[in-house]
This record gives sequence, structure tokens and C-alpha cells, in this order.
Amino acid sequence: MDRNANCPPAKTGIRSAAWQTAADQLGDMKESFKIGIDVGGTFTDFFIWSDDGNTRALKVPSTPHDPSEAVMEGLAVAAQMEGLALQDFLSKTASVVHGTTVTTNAVLTRRGARTALVTTEGVRDALEMRRGIREERYNNRLQNVPPLVPRHLRRAVAGRVDAQGKEILPLDLSEVRELANYFQSQDIQAVAVCFMNSFANPQQEHLAESLLRETLPRVYLCTSSNVLPTIRFYNRVSTTVLNAYTGPVLRDYLQNLTCKLERFGFSGILLIVQSSGGMALPSAVLEKPAATLLSGPAAAPGAAVAFCRPYGGSNCIVVDMGGTSFDASLVRDGRVELKNEGDIERLRIALPMLDIVTIGAGGGSIGWIDGGGLLRMGPESAGSQPGPACYGCGGLQPTCTDANLTLGLLDPAFFAGGKLPLFPDLAAKAIEQHIAIPLEMSVEEAAAGMIEVINNNMTFGVREITVKRGLDPREFPMVVAGGAAGLHCCSIARHLEIRAVIVPGHASVLCALGMLLADYQHDFVKSVMAPLRSFPAFYLLAAIDDLAQQGESLLQRERVPSHAVQHEVSFELRYSKQYHEVSVPIPWEILKTDDRDEMARLFHREHDRLYGYELSDSLTGIDLINIRVRSKGLTAKPDLPRCPWGGRDPGAAYKRHRSVFSPARRCWEPIPVFDGHRLAAGNQIGGPALVERADTTVFIEHGWQGRIDEWGALLLENIES
Amino acid sequence: MSKSHPVDKVLVSILARAFRSITDEMSISMEKTTRSPILCEARDFVTGLYDSEGNMLEQTEHLPILSFSLSPVCRHIIERFQGNIFQGDVFFHNDVFSFGNQNNDVAVFKPIFFDGQLVGWAACKGHQADIGGAVRGGYNPDATEVWQEALRIPAVKIIEKGKLRRDVWDLIFANIRLESVPEDMRAEIGSCVVGERRLVSLIRKYGVESFEAHKKALFDATRRMAAAEIHAIPNGTYSGESTVYYDGRHPGRHYRIRVSVIIEDEQVTFDFTGTDPQTDGFVNGTFASTASATILTFLQMISPDLPHNSGMLEPLRIIVPAGTILNAAFPAATTYGNHLCPAIADAITRALAPAVPERVSAGWNHLLCSLSTGPGPAPGDTYVDILFMGLKGGSGALRGVDGYDHIGMIDASGGVLDQDYEMFEQMTPHLLLKHEFLTDSAGPGEFRGGLGVETRYRVGSDETQIVIFGDGDVEPGFGIEGGGPGTLNHITLHYPDGAICRARSLDLIRNVPAGTVYVQEAGGGGGYGCPHNRPAETVRREVQNGIISPARALADYAVAVNPDTLELDLTETRRLRALRGEGEDAHEAPAE
Repeated sequence: MDRNANCPPAKTGIRSAAWQTAADQLGDMKESFKIGIDVGGTFTDFFIWSDDGNTRALKVPSTPHDPSEAVMEGLAVAAQMEGLALQDFLSKTASVVHGTTVTTNAVLTRRGARTALVTTEGVRDALEMRRGIREERYNNRLQNVPPLVPRHLRRAVAGRVDAQGKEILPLDLSEVRELANYFQSQDIQAVAVCFMNSFANPQQEHLAESLLRETLPRVYLCTSSNVLPTIRFYNRVSTTVLNAYTGPVLRDYLQNLTCKLERFGFSGILLIVQSSGGMALPSAVLEKPAATLLSGPAAAPGAAVAFCRPYGGSNCIVVDMGGTSFDASLVRDGRVELKNEGDIERLRIALPMLDIVTIGAGGGSIGWIDGGGLLRMGPESAGSQPGPACYGCGGLQPTCTDANLTLGLLDPAFFAGGKLPLFPDLAAKAIEQHIAIPLEMSVEEAAAGMIEVINNNMTFGVREITVKRGLDPREFPMVVAGGAAGLHCCSIARHLEIRAVIVPGHASVLCALGMLLADYQHDFVKSVMAPLRSFPAFYLLAAIDDLAQQGESLLQRERVPSHAVQHEVSFELRYSKQYHEVSVPIPWEILKTDDRDEMARLFHREHDRLYGYELSDSLTGIDLINIRVRSKGLTAKPDLPRCPWGGRDPGAAYKRHRSVFSPARRCWEPIPVFDGHRLAAGNQIGGPALVERADTTVFIEHGWQGRIDEWGALLLENIES
Repeated sequence: MSKSHPVDKVLVSILARAFRSITDEMSISMEKTTRSPILCEARDFVTGLYDSEGNMLEQTEHLPILSFSLSPVCRHIIERFQGNIFQGDVFFHNDVFSFGNQNNDVAVFKPIFFDGQLVGWAACKGHQADIGGAVRGGYNPDATEVWQEALRIPAVKIIEKGKLRRDVWDLIFANIRLESVPEDMRAEIGSCVVGERRLVSLIRKYGVESFEAHKKALFDATRRMAAAEIHAIPNGTYSGESTVYYDGRHPGRHYRIRVSVIIEDEQVTFDFTGTDPQTDGFVNGTFASTASATILTFLQMISPDLPHNSGMLEPLRIIVPAGTILNAAFPAATTYGNHLCPAIADAITRALAPAVPERVSAGWNHLLCSLSTGPGPAPGDTYVDILFMGLKGGSGALRGVDGYDHIGMIDASGGVLDQDYEMFEQMTPHLLLKHEFLTDSAGPGEFRGGLGVETRYRVGSDETQIVIFGDGDVEPGFGIEGGGPGTLNHITLHYPDGAICRARSLDLIRNVPAGTVYVQEAGGGGGYGCPHNRPAETVRREVQNGIISPARALADYAVAVNPDTLELDLTETRRLRALRGEGEDAHEAPAE
């Protein structure tokens, strides 16, 4: 059977068993596998957990034209490694947790659905205007982002609700019907409906939706009041359009993937990771496909915290450095920090997502000298084509990888486990020509400068998620993910005065691993816009109840047993007349006793933490803007695999000494190199040293002490400070 | 200060990045905690960091026109309070006769100490919703002297060694109408505290001497970069002019702005000698507002990669004779001064267009704007709102790039945001009826100007007061190299009794009744290059999208689009375009 033969698109809806498989059926399987699959730009990563405790990690090249090809390819490789036919392997697979970037790519490459927008008369251009921002003040050549829906497909209908939710002009039903016919004639694949003030009264949107549905039964439809029932028109229209634009793409992809999996005997459960880090059934995800737009790195923090827990910590900073970008995120009290709005390609998306800061710093980042003679790194990247100069594939610009190679930090014969030979002379030449000569420096000093500048850039990425949120990075250990971060982690930590760094054994596939530790999660929100003090308890509890019910029913559909269901409530509050809200988690005890003083106190405290002041001593009122409920279905987490004990002495893993030019110390010195695959729990390595694994190299700098813990993670401590 | 401290070129790059991160953080603090929509929605503020002598280390400029007066005021404070500047001090300042740019733009300065030594300053300046004077909100078109416009705050110490000078605080805010203003000034102070904390920790890491040496190296590197940009412009003296159309007092009176831009190798001088004398109304610039307008216009003509510190200003010289409309003498009224920026930008652009046609943009839409105040939606409430969403027209096109749609005045260059529509309806009593791109507003060209917008709202409460300012209803954004002009701005009020009031610039309209419909058009920017060179398919698509009418497509672009099918009539288009020939004057009406 051809693994990659596509399944014909289903005619209506989704009728596949895997979509509705019960979580509680999983217990029946005798030997079973759980598989995490993370699709990245360059590689698709797999982490396979068998219930006898064995784990396996692997990578195959991604197939951007149809990501499911790489998924099937990887599964075939995994089956082979297990000594099983793909059919047998998949029939023993209880669950596949999948992080997909198909929605993200649809937006980045503008290959989403042919989408139309139905909106209130007079505001159809809000989507394109983006509130009139130009991100760079002095750059007259910077152009606006083309809208996802061209103007002629943004159509207005008569009908109006005022700011308090009162209907002041009924919806013109005949106009909606006419539009439906027009969309049909234009072969529209998705329609977003977003009316003014629908957060306060969604009836007209629902009416329009049902009318459109009559004429367009197969078109992907969504309303802003379902996707994002909160105030702020631009946020809502932009998010709803992103949702419609990506809906059909995700639907087709998941249908195709499900079909392929089933054809090869998979009868387990397929789950999709969302931007919030939680997972959900495909059918639930398809109601809010935009909630997967920033799901790429969303599973890593969950895995990171698992590696911190042995150290009593439930707080950590997670840094993930790959070929082109660097992601930084934060875990506090065992929870991944979330935010409720962000941007993708300068387009606003206001759904819960991991608070991840992404900057253009990776192995491929290009070094250059600006007009004033200053050294800069990135954000331009050489990517994988032509790649860094040292790949010998035609790249002439000096990159971060070239600098690391020049400094002796990378072994030219052992990059990617020796699969990709590197050419040090090409790296040195590029650095000499573009950096060393203009700066009048030696090649190694120039390379060291490149590393220092890029480390500094990444340091500011971490500051964004800590200091700018009123948090002190020194209080957090740093967990390292991604293939390129190991060489830079000590330096970044030193800049931030972070004392402990954890490099998990599977750092380069941490996202795939994290998927197997994820919970079911669904987020709901309701706008209230009322004074916190006087809002009637009855309405408050009814609103919370309504949101929790929605979560409950989704989780039921996912067959999460009721004892594993958990609802978390948070309020978005602000001082009267402020424009921006602060999100405050409200514990159930306080909700039950309806202790408004305590709710206010929690808000004052959070405002003070974020912005350095609070106004509890003034008469200023507090307004409750939104109520949020996060419904979780907690899953049983497999234990992390253990690493055999090997005593303090790492001698068995010693490879050789290599001469390295340390960027911080600016001199050549021979340092020991260890084989990461042969290190055992208890092994201790003092810096400076290098630990090489097939997928990553870790540079233990001067002043740092490394130890392999019982889960095979390399724990680095700064012993100088 | 050690001159011999060794300079590490890498550390220079690192510090430049660090300064930017600090002023960005200061800016986030402002955006998230202030209450006036002018600050938290529109972001009419700037945050900055300066060295111990007041030289700019970095600024985050949401509104560039406020920006380049902070450094001069900082120097002024250093001089005036010499020997009397202590750790924990905070200063206020808004005075336009000691280097301020506009009365409503109130600045906070906080000296930063390390080991007892003054090492720098943090500053924040925002447009406050009220600053006393005769008219709520500050724009008083009847003013002839500064005291009728605003409370003057020359450099004043509001906190000394960490202790609030309560009496001074009370004196200031006793003269200001809105209760939110002291809260928003606290937010400005908070922003400076953020800057102070971060600069101190940076200096703790690298040491004062190293900080000083590397800061100087950063200034030098930036100066070299700016000098190289100027060097790329052919030497010569280039002259340009523009007109200011209103002074608010004498209908029909015009004022000329004249500039000579002198390029001498790596130095540029902007000499405004010859500009008309100041007015007796409030349409007057200050040196600071004129210098800011000049700098931001010039920055848009050079590389946007230039680091942002005082080094970039070193090769620039700006001469503005006192007593002119661009540098009015005490005690002139000057609230309008920021809004002379478009005219100043036009004069400079016209001057430099022949020298660097590939760098200049066609004319931007000028300002016509309204500020409304009145009873808010809740009982007892009062609101003040500048209708930013309504005033933002299009920018001028450049060679190779269309103008930016709905970007707004060049003074802000896209840094000032529209109110969110639903927030607007929550915070004011009004109902938004329309806010859309304005068809046929873009100046035609091979690269068209940016589009303007049309805004309509229904006034929701009686006793609404509306002040109109700007002169964008007289001269449209001009075209360049054969491109056509954009359109003009208008504001009209349609009263419930059927009367229509065409608002004039500098009108103060009182007692606007509920039910009145406010209508505003902000025009498009000027086009660049002959419109006949614009690809016909691009024009057709814009007709399909309704931003160009079939009639204008034919008249301006010689592109025939069937108005019913919206298909391109290629034969007719070819015939028309062949008839005119390439490069012929583009914006002549077609002979029909």
C-alpha cells in the first residue's frame, strides 16, 4: 500500500472513528505505544513511548507540501526500529499527539481558504487597516500586510447592536441571503461573520450564520461571538478571519492524515496540540483552528517543567534555538505562562497562546557590519538553503554556525552525528571577508564577537518574557531545547545571572516529548464589563457556570472521566477608565464565598507586580471586563525514562581534547570532549568541556559544573558566583 | 571621564541593543497603565534615555514630533539645577519657551545615579488630556498668548530625594481640569523608574568608565553612518517652499515656509531663513517642534537601519530665525506648532526631490482633526477624545512603493493608532456609522498615494463640544515625477434639524446636539510617476476592490474597466495608453 496516497476528501463532515475514539478504551491494549509528533520547518520530530518504559526519538526531513508524508515516513521508520510492520506498530499505538504547523504555514505562504467576511455596514476595512499602524516609523518603504480577505469579499449587511448590546437596527435577512448566493457563485470556501458589539449580543451573528448555512452547507463558517466573544472589534475581526482562513486547510489535512493512519491499522486516539499547549480532539480543534496558529513550540515548556520537577522547582525559563529562530517562554508554578493576544505576520490573533517570544537568532543567523561599522547578527538567516558557509552548499555569508565551527566548538566531522560534513576553511573565509577585515580583528576574535552579539540578542529575548513581565530571571532555572541552544546556554545564563541550566537528553526533540505530557484543554471567555463590587453574584456564577458547561461537554466528548476534569477561572480586571486589563486567576474558594474584597486584593497585587504601583488606597473602582474559564482534562503522565548509574567519573565517555577559542575568555585552549551518548547518571564534568550528541553539542563554559542526572539530563551549575 | 578606556566593538553593539530594550520597556509601562485614550490607545507619547550631559542614548518614538525636544530640555534642566540634582529627584516640564514643543506634551525627567554619581537621565513625555488654559483639552484657537492656552510648567522639581513636594504637585493639578491627568503623570514617572532601574543594572554590570567609553563609541559609529548617508547626496544648496493656510484669526491670510537645504560633504544644514513672521494666533511653531519635524522628515530619506542616538544628529544643523512662524517669540501662543510638521516636511521634500528623487516621498495628506469633549456615556462622566481614526489620511508614494493607506499625519508616521471602534463606543456617547477607505482619494501614479478614510459618527449627547484644527482642507498631498495629488480633507456636521455646518479649521463648535452626524474625510497621499505606467491589472483589481472608481481608472490611468463585470478591456486600455504615449502629463482630464 502506498503510504502517501492521499485519501479522497470526505463529502460531508467527518465520519472517522479515530476522531471520536474514547480515551477510556485505551486501557484495553496489551502492549501499546504513545507517539508525539512535532512538525518543524526543517525536521519532523518523533518521540515514542512504549508502555514497558522504553523510549525512542527520531527525526525525518519535513515535507512542507504535505506534512503528513513525513509523519507516515517517520512512523514507518519507527516501526522498523521496533521490528514491527507499520500495520502492527500502528495497531498497537494507543495515541498519537500531533503538533501541526499547517495553519501557520497557510498564513505564512498565503495558501489558506478563499475566504469572505460578512460584517457591519461601515467597518469592512478594519481588517486591512490594522488600526492604522506602520511598525517602523522612519521606513517609508515598509508596506502594509495584504489582508487575508480582499476588499471585494469583505461585505457589509444592514443591522446594528449598540455598545450595551441593544439591537438598534434589525439584521437585513434578504441582504444576507443575497450574499450567500454571491459567495456561492464566487466559489468561496470559508466565511467569517463579525458584527459590531457582538460580544454584548451575538444574536445577529447567529442569525446570519444560520442563513448562510442554508445556502452554503459545505462552506466553513464561523462567527466572532463563537471564536472570541470579547470587546475590541479589530482583535475580533482579525482572529475570526484567521480562523476561517485556516479552517478548511486544517480540516483537509486532518481528514487526510486520519485516513492514512486508519488505513494502516491505527485505531487509537489522535490528538492535536493547540497554541495554549493543551491538546484536543480534531473535531474540537476544527471549531477553533486559529487556536493552533502558534502551536509550533507550544509543547516544549510542558516537557521542560518535567525535567525541573526533580529539583523541587515548578518554575523555569525555556529556550529553544533552532536554525533560524530562538523561542523563549516561561513556566511559573508548574504552569506555562499564557497570553491572550499576539501577532502572526503582523496580523492580530487574540486567543490564548503560550507567551513565547521569538527572535531571529539561530544557527543560520547571518553576521554583518552596518554602515556605522557596528557588528550585527541576524535577523537574516541563511536557512537550510544555501545554509551556513561551512555547509559548502554555496553560502557565502558568515553565520552563527560558521562562528561556532571556527572557534572549535563544533566538530566538522561530527555535525548531525557525522551525516553532514562541515568545511572550516569556508567558514573562516566568510568570517574573515565580511567581519574580521572590516573590524580589523583576527578571524577568531571576529567569530567570538559574532557569538557574543547573538548571545546578547537572545538574552534580550529572555528578558522580554521575564523582566518586562516584572519577573526576575535569576529566580528561574533555564531548560534548553532545540539543536543549536547547547553551545549558547551557559553564556545566556551568565548574562542573566541564572545559576542553573538543564539540558534534557532529548533536548532536540523536546516538543515531541512534551506532547506526551500534555493535558486536554479548552478555553472560554465572556465579556462582562461591569464594576467588580456591584456585579450581582447570581450573574457572575451563572456566567462561570455557562463557560464551565461548555468545557464539560467538550471534555465529555473526549471521554475524559469526570474526576480528571478541572476548571480554572480567571478575571480580567482593570481600574475604572484604564484601557488595558490585568488577568487574575481566582481560586474556587474565593468564588464560592464570593469574597469580592479578596478578588480586589488579588488584582491590586498583580497590578503592582506588573507595573510597579497599585491604587488600593484610592477610591478608584475596579471593573470586571472578561471572565475566562480554562477546562482541563488531566491525563496520566508516563514517567520519564531513567538513565543507568555510572558514578562521578565521566572517563568512559571521554573522546579527546580539542582546541577551542572561548568567546568569553578570548584565547585558545585545549578542552575535553565527551560523547553524550555514553555519559551515565552521576557523571560530573567541570567546565570548560564539550558534550557532543548526534543532534546537539553542549558547551560547558568556565565556571560551570555539569552533572548527568538520573533522567539523563545534563544539569549545569554556575559555581563561580 | 576616562578617554583611554579601551573600546570593545562588540560591547558597543551590545549596549546599543540594551538601550533600545530599556526605552521599549518604559513605553510598555506607559501604554498599559495610562487612562487617557490619547496615551493608551493612540500612544501619543515618547520614552527616552540620556547620558549625564543630556545626549540621547535611545528613544522609543510612537510620535516622532514630540521626540527631539527631550534632549534639549534635559540639557536645560542640567544647567538650571546645577549642583541641585539628587538621587530620587523627579522633574516636570512643558514650557515651550524653554525648549518644549507643545504645552500639552508634558515631560517627566528623572536623573539616574550610580555610586553617587550622575550617570544619565530617563524621560517620558506624553500628550496630556488637559493642561489648564482657557479651553478643556488645550486646543484654544482664540489664544493669542501662551497663558490662554495652558499652565506653563518650566522645569520644576516635583520629587526631591524621593519625597513628593506635595505643595508643588497640588499647585499644578489645581490648574488642570481632569482627574485622570495626575494619574497619567504618575504613569509617566513610573515609566522613568523602569528606565532608571534598568540603566543602573546595566552600569553595574559593565562599570561607569566602560559605559562612558562605549557610549561615546556608539555615538561615533552612528555619526559616521549618518555622515555616510549625507555624503551620498550630491553637494549643493536646495530650496523648497510650502504654505500654511490658516492662522485662526485672519481668514485668507497665508504664511510661507522657506527652507534651504545645504549639503556639504558629510554635513547637512536646514536653514529656514526667509520664512514668514509669526502669527498673532496659536498657529506658531517652537524651535523644538520645527527641529523635530525637520529631523523626522530627513530620517525618512535615509537608511532606516541607523541606530537611534545623538550621534545621528551631529551632522545635522538646523537654523530657525526667532520671530518666525516656525520659532515664535515669547509670549506667543503655539499649541498648533506640532501640526506645522506637514508643511515643513513638504518644503524639505520639495527642496531635496531634484537631488535625490529616489529617496523622497510624494506629499503626505495634511492634518485636519477634531477633538471632542462632553458628557460621557455614564452619568456625571466627562470625556476628551481626539478622533485619531478620522484624521489618518494616506502617505505619499515613493519610487517603487505605493503610499501607505490610512497611516495619518507625517508627524506620527503610523505610530499613532485608531481607537478600537468598540472601545470608542464604550468610552464616548457616540455611535460609529462608518470608518472605511475613501474611494478615489489616492493620488494617481505609477505608484499611487496611500488611501484616505471616511469617518461618520452620530453624536450621542447634547452639549458636545468639538474643536477643529489643521489646514488639510486647502492643499492636497502633492504628486512627484508625474504623479497626481491626493484629495483634500473635510469635516461637516449634519444637525438633526437638517442644517449642515462645514467646519472650518480652528473652529470651536459648542453645544452640538445629540443626533448630529459628524462626517470627516481624510484624503489620500500624492502619487509618484506617470499613472499610465501602472500595470493595468493592478488598476483593475483596485477598481474591483472599490478603492478606484471605473471613471477615475479611465481618466487617471487610461485603464478601461467594465463597470458591470469589473473586467479589464485590454484592447481599449492599450488604445488609450498608446494614444497618450508614455510619460505624458498624467493627471490631465481625458478628452471625452
